[in-house]
Amino acid sequence: MIDILSYGLIILGIIFWFWGTLPLIGNRSVLFKLHSLSVADTLGSMAILVGLLLKVPSEWSLLLLAIITLAIWNTVLGYVIAYCASDNSQLANTNKHD
Amino acid sequence: MDANTIFNLILRLTIWLLLTNNFGLLNLAIGLAIALLLPQSRTAPVKIKDWLQVSWKIIKAIPQAYIEAIQMMLRPHNQEDFVRETVKAERTPGLIFLDIFLITFTPKTIVTKYDKQGWYEVHRVKPK
Amino acid sequence: MDSILIAMILALLIPIYEAWQDDDIWQTILAFTSIATKTSIMMLVISVSRDDWSIGVVAVIILSVGNAGLMLMAHLIKRINEA
Repeated sequence: MIDILSYGLIILGIIFWFWGTLPLIGNRSVLFKLHSLSVADTLGSMAILVGLLLKVPSEWSLLLLAIITLAIWNTVLGYVIAYCASDNSQLANTNKHD
Repeated sequence: MDANTIFNLILRLTIWLLLTNNFGLLNLAIGLAIALLLPQSRTAPVKIKDWLQVSWKIIKAIPQAYIEAIQMMLRPHNQEDFVRETVKAERTPGLIFLDIFLITFTPKTIVTKYDKQGWYEVHRVKPK
Repeated sequence: MDSILIAMILALLIPIYEAWQDDDIWQTILAFTSIATKTSIMMLVISVSRDDWSIGVVAVIILSVGNAGLMLMAHLIKRINEA
């Protein structure tokens, strides 16, 4: 039962990975790609890690630390990249007006 | 000892225990000593009620993020726009950080800018 | 477990391709962050499948430290672009 659940979560995570990473190739804005990447890299990876946690509960402390650092760092990194990239594009827009 | 200091100590002790994976009394004492010895940042005292509210919001944000992810997968969200959200009054830097974290954690919204005047610039995706 | 790893490697190829073909610096950084997260998750999966926790510890350290470097780099590039 737990085996099915853990494999299900890992497979769900991999589906999230593919769904969220494929838009990277297209021609969209950085911010739009960030939205789909946060689905893939934060939520998908968290699902995979929870699946692993159910599989090997003896190493729960390391995996829990991995889940927490993943959630915090990926979100903060998303904010930092959004801040840096959007400011830059606004600068480019004002330059065009000049 | 206000709520902020206690919260900081608990956070440091949790990370220490998870990192060392040893819940013996000696290790607990070492962790507590390190948590106390690390420099404390002096911030304005925070009401314990605010921390509880934010903690509850974090717990709620996790299922909400997955719901939004599945919504985004089922219906293509191709519209993008910017909105401005005002910051609640009397927020300390720690709480503002958590607010930004919560908004960015859910996949449909990302904070792109925080202004000291009291608003966030939020980027959203919407279905057509 | 092997098929899971193969699917992960296939997913990893997408950001690698994007990093190679796009010239815009922000798109490249986005691809690199994706590569960083995906490889460290793959390391954790391998450490579970081989039951070798020294690999897992390295993966957790990469997860918690590696992204900080990318954040610094994003700020640096922004400063350079402004100057």
